[in-house]
Amino acid sequence: MLKIETHCFAVIYIPFYSLQCAQQKCALQSCSPNSMSSNQLSLDVIETAVYGTAHQNIIDDTSFDIPAALLASDGLHVIELNPAAERAGIHPGVSTSQAIARASDLVLYPRTLSNEQHLQNTLLQLVYRYSPFIENSAPGICTLDLKGKRTRKHQLWLRELLAQLRSVGLKAQAGIGPNPEIALQAAKIADPILEILQDSHLLQSLPLESLAPSLFLLDIMKSWGVRNLGALTRLPREEIGQRLGLEGLSLWDRAAGRSTNVLQLVQPPETFEESIDFEQRLETLEPLLFILRRFLETLSLRIESVYLLIAELHLTLILENGEKIVRILQIPAPTRDVDTLFGIAAQYLETLQTPAPVTSFHLEVIPSRPSGHQFDLFQGGLKDPNRFFQTLARLAALVGNERVGIPQKIDTHRPDSLRMLMPEFDWSRSRIKKKRHPKTGPGLRRYRPGVVADVQLNAEGKPTLIQSSVISGKILEARGPWKLSGNWWDLTRWEAKEWDIALDDRGLYRIAQRTTSANERRRTSANEGADNDRSHSLTFQDQWEVVGVYD
Amino acid sequence: MSLSPKIIELRKILAERYPQQTTHSLCTPTGWSPLDSLLGGGLPKGAITQLLIPNISSGGAIVLHEIIEAMHDASQYVALIDGKDCFEPVADHPLLLWIRCNNTVQALKATDLILRDGNLPLTILDFKQNSDRELRKIPGPTWYRFQRITEENKTSLLTITRHPIVSSAHLTISMTHQLYIDDLSSQRREIIKFVSLEIVRLRTQLEYRYA
Repeated sequence: MLKIETHCFAVIYIPFYSLQCAQQKCALQSCSPNSMSSNQLSLDVIETAVYGTAHQNIIDDTSFDIPAALLASDGLHVIELNPAAERAGIHPGVSTSQAIARASDLVLYPRTLSNEQHLQNTLLQLVYRYSPFIENSAPGICTLDLKGKRTRKHQLWLRELLAQLRSVGLKAQAGIGPNPEIALQAAKIADPILEILQDSHLLQSLPLESLAPSLFLLDIMKSWGVRNLGALTRLPREEIGQRLGLEGLSLWDRAAGRSTNVLQLVQPPETFEESIDFEQRLETLEPLLFILRRFLETLSLRIESVYLLIAELHLTLILENGEKIVRILQIPAPTRDVDTLFGIAAQYLETLQTPAPVTSFHLEVIPSRPSGHQFDLFQGGLKDPNRFFQTLARLAALVGNERVGIPQKIDTHRPDSLRMLMPEFDWSRSRIKKKRHPKTGPGLRRYRPGVVADVQLNAEGKPTLIQSSVISGKILEARGPWKLSGNWWDLTRWEAKEWDIALDDRGLYRIAQRTTSANERRRTSANEGADNDRSHSLTFQDQWEVVGVYD
Repeated sequence: MSLSPKIIELRKILAERYPQQTTHSLCTPTGWSPLDSLLGGGLPKGAITQLLIPNISSGGAIVLHEIIEAMHDASQYVALIDGKDCFEPVADHPLLLWIRCNNTVQALKATDLILRDGNLPLTILDFKQNSDRELRKIPGPTWYRFQRITEENKTSLLTITRHPIVSSAHLTISMTHQLYIDDLSSQRREIIKFVSLEIVRLRTQLEYRYA
């Protein structure tokens, strides 16, 4: 039997949020190997980026012990501080010079509004995994309605959520309470998680200010000697209502843990992107790979929160000369595995040559649902389509794009007309068309390109003797000619008379007498990588060649 | 722990209904019955098989096409690494990955990539048209490396050559036949009846281990 749970709320609170956002951005830029002076250190970082041997956090605890302050957009005064800076005697609003005078080791950060918005979206996306009822309460604050959540072990999932936020670069605190205000107060004083129950002593000891009453109401309460929530709830509710009206009743209800506020529910944005503008232009690949891995880790985490997989990677590089390189990488089998995604993206970046250094990098991922396969009992699909995709890319780099793939015949009579297709990765038996072709005669092993030959004909026009670089000798028997032609309507006209011959070396060969126009020869020779024929005249030429050997 | 009688019964039913499939764990059936019956089910998994076709026009391409079509019928991917870019497809093969190499160096690199990938159950390395001079330059350890990879990934590698060059091959099969000009108009199944296969070398497991 299901146990009916008490309705409660959770608040995720990121203290000094704007400052943390600025610190996060600076940390990301500064931890790229490009900014490091020590070669050894750079190599360690590259190893981490490439092999993912350690999951680094952008922030660490020591960064909170160093006084840090956020500057206003004009750069003249401080608008937000961390506790270490407050302890040094700095308070919001002081001028930059005063702040530096009070703490010589103060680190100042410029405000990054775009990053704040971006991280707020990330916060919403991560939180959405744990409750569908979320409110974007304020920058760095997100409220969750936990109705319907069956577990009372909130500590477990909150710790998981805070760890995820920490890996993104944000140190957050979480509070649980019977209403959003108390949950927020709990989050503000939490270390890092605090749960305040409806009848807990802690709830009763919270100051009245935690519910943010109006100054008028607060003064009256203080004049009555009511300073905390416990003292307020000990007063009769009806009496409070008679004396202080609706506002007083609302305050009493909230102090007693009876929520009256309705959350303004939001849906997290469905865009998953990360970007960075480099302070120092990038001239080598390693720093980019480092950032790429970091981005993929974050995006994978965000995608996981909505139970989707990554189907496409959109990489955008902005170069110093203003040029923009955009590349869309399809993931054959959508996945969230960072190593696989990194391998695919890194493989592309390794082959990329840019005319100028990189100044900005943007990565967007397109989510998709897991593709459904229903294989039969003995059907063998690809074990790892993503790995196969990477292998295909390596093969294409080795032999050329046009020389690897699945052969498909082009609809023409022209011999050896093929195109190479990429294999289908969402392969299933139902999609494979099983065509039956007549299985006549032995197979042919072609010479590509055909080998030029000198052929001697008899009085009947049959070949009797052949001489070429691959075969030479007396032709014992010849069958043909098999006439083929095409493109007679344009300058790429071609014509061939093919013969099947048996040589005295016991081999069976196919030879052909080809008639091609100069244009066609030029096209063919260009395809075969030979020197181009410069002639543009409309001339036709006959040429014998050895097409292949029957085997 | 003894197996449940139901599982044993189920295995028996499957073995009776799908006799070829039950050998899957040990070998990769090529679908070409003369070869499969000679090898007791198909090409050994995790090993290299060397097919020797010493003569010109002896039906090697027919065998190649038969294997590719049979693999297609069994809905299995097959990789053909064409050492001299000489393969002539006679039909569309949606499950054939054809890698058209210019020389042995390219072909060996491509084989290495495909074997390491481990996705495809059967890889065919066709060196029939490559010159002896080229093939002699292949370092011996290359074949042992391929053997180790296939062993690890449990895939099958079939090499087609004119002379024995694969020192680490588990099986060496020789194929002898001679095509005549009249065969050019014959049905393939009629021609293939006369193709004779012979195991010329079968390495024992111990010998194979110490190789």
